[in-house]
Amino acid sequence: MPVMHSVYRHREAGAPLTDLAAYEAASGYVALKHALATMQPDEVLYQFHRSGLRGRGGAGFPMGRKASFLPKDSPMPAYVVCNADESEPGTFKDREIIEHNPFQLLEGIILAAYAVGSHRAYVYIRGEYEHQARVLDAAVARAREAGYLGDGVCGSAFDCDVTVYRGAGAYICGEETGLLESLEGKRGQPRLKPPFPAVAGLYGSPTLINNVETLSALPPIIDQGADWYAAIGPEKSPGTKIFSVSGHVLRPGNYEVVMGETTLRELVYDLAGGLRPGHAFKACWVGGSSVPVLGEEHLDTPLDYESLQAAGTFLGSGGCIVMDDSGCIVRASLRLAHFYRHESCGKCSPCREGTNWMEKILQRVVDGDGRIEDLELLESLFSRISGKTLCALADGAVAPIQSAIRLFRDDFVRVIEHGSPRPEPMTEAAVA
Amino acid sequence: MTADQLHAHIEPIRHEFADPRSLVLPALKFAQTEKGHLTEADLAAVAEATGFSQAYVESVATFYDRLYLQPVGRRVVSVCVTLSCMLRGSDEVLEHVCDHLGLDHHGGNTADGAITVQEAQCLGACDRAPCIQVDAENSVGPLTPEDAARLVDELRDAPAPAELWR
Repeated sequence: MPVMHSVYRHREAGAPLTDLAAYEAASGYVALKHALATMQPDEVLYQFHRSGLRGRGGAGFPMGRKASFLPKDSPMPAYVVCNADESEPGTFKDREIIEHNPFQLLEGIILAAYAVGSHRAYVYIRGEYEHQARVLDAAVARAREAGYLGDGVCGSAFDCDVTVYRGAGAYICGEETGLLESLEGKRGQPRLKPPFPAVAGLYGSPTLINNVETLSALPPIIDQGADWYAAIGPEKSPGTKIFSVSGHVLRPGNYEVVMGETTLRELVYDLAGGLRPGHAFKACWVGGSSVPVLGEEHLDTPLDYESLQAAGTFLGSGGCIVMDDSGCIVRASLRLAHFYRHESCGKCSPCREGTNWMEKILQRVVDGDGRIEDLELLESLFSRISGKTLCALADGAVAPIQSAIRLFRDDFVRVIEHGSPRPEPMTEAAVA
Repeated sequence: MTADQLHAHIEPIRHEFADPRSLVLPALKFAQTEKGHLTEADLAAVAEATGFSQAYVESVATFYDRLYLQPVGRRVVSVCVTLSCMLRGSDEVLEHVCDHLGLDHHGGNTADGAITVQEAQCLGACDRAPCIQVDAENSVGPLTPEDAARLVDELRDAPAPAELWR
């Protein structure tokens, strides 16, 4: 059984820390007070860098490096934006952090703002998370009341405030430039990069955008030291990661694991309760749905950025969707194609048209009207979509389907030849 | 909703944004809480309150799934159908709820205007799969098809909230 190790204090405490006093009792705001009283912004930034923390939203870019890209001499105000648009299928870790530990997130945001010299931060939260947005609103009001936000944070000369901004239902607003467009009051369509948000982000200003889980890791990094964090797990993928496990497992939920010390098999079988008796593992989308699918032969892959990449996939958001042998990989692929077709913002033709065709072709395969040439047709389509668009949505749409055809070609051929009856869904209740 | 009401809603937050365009989305969301969808008059009121053209305001509104430019029911029931929920029976839930309400399997509005059923993309509640979201309330689950039909019946009988956040 993997050793538990916790960076997120509500997990360490084993209870929600929605009350400010409870968060303070769990070392809350110690790091912020320490940083404001004894550290220069550059020193805080250096600690982020030194910790080796990588972005937990999907791309895995080193957080400290991203923050260091903000120009120091800009005449424009700098902004910090927290990406809480958690919409990647299979991912529900940020929801848990916001619901159970909003003050750690706020402390992380304030630390990040101090490090990059920003006085206004935004949390962009998906419209479907209205309940969680209200939890955050209340936490912001409480933090302001306690002097952690507003003019002179903790009695220092540093001013900082946070605005919670609600989206209105659009997966693409989790893409950082789509998010910025939406936050600017526009249609949430991604921008051409460069310039990257660090240079010209919100309102054309230098902007640091990080995911909820990333920003929430900052208080313990300052509190316990960058070296402490860097020593957890492998050198290139330090820290812990929260995996959201769902699908055909007996105990779906969020599991925080030390990077590299837990294998996919341990996550699925030991932590998430494994599969129903009599069922075998079939497939797993380990980093959300926008990553290449893995099969049974990959179960012993350690969960960290490098190992998963070596296995042909990505750690992504850590939304681990598991399917057992009762599921149909072709129907699963169709359902994902449907998702991306629905969520394509329409700006780039290869994605707008390509996701539409992917869904149409897979639909006819599932409907029993497929032809064996459809597999080559899909392959030729993938090469016309992937890498041909402004943002990564299109690549994410292709990855799970292209990999499924490669890994489970026999299943696709069987469905084309013999059809695919709808499988019985799993209805067993979660086990404690 | 009137431009005055919208004005009262966005003025207190205006200072939080360097560009007033950022007020368009909060104004649209608030305008929708009155009737549960946005009418031509609502778009005009948002335009007046924010200072942007009605055409611009509408162009923003059409982008987002949770802004409705056509009438929807007093309560909107979103059934998540993305992969995790599908593996746990969301198609069966959606079909049963639709059958129960006399709708085709893609959802729609009930004739009496009480309920709208729609499929939703991943709601971020895969640990509760199959899950359902009523308006913008916290998603609930796991639900059997029968649970979901009962939930819809209860919604039909209960008074709608004063503000329809969707």
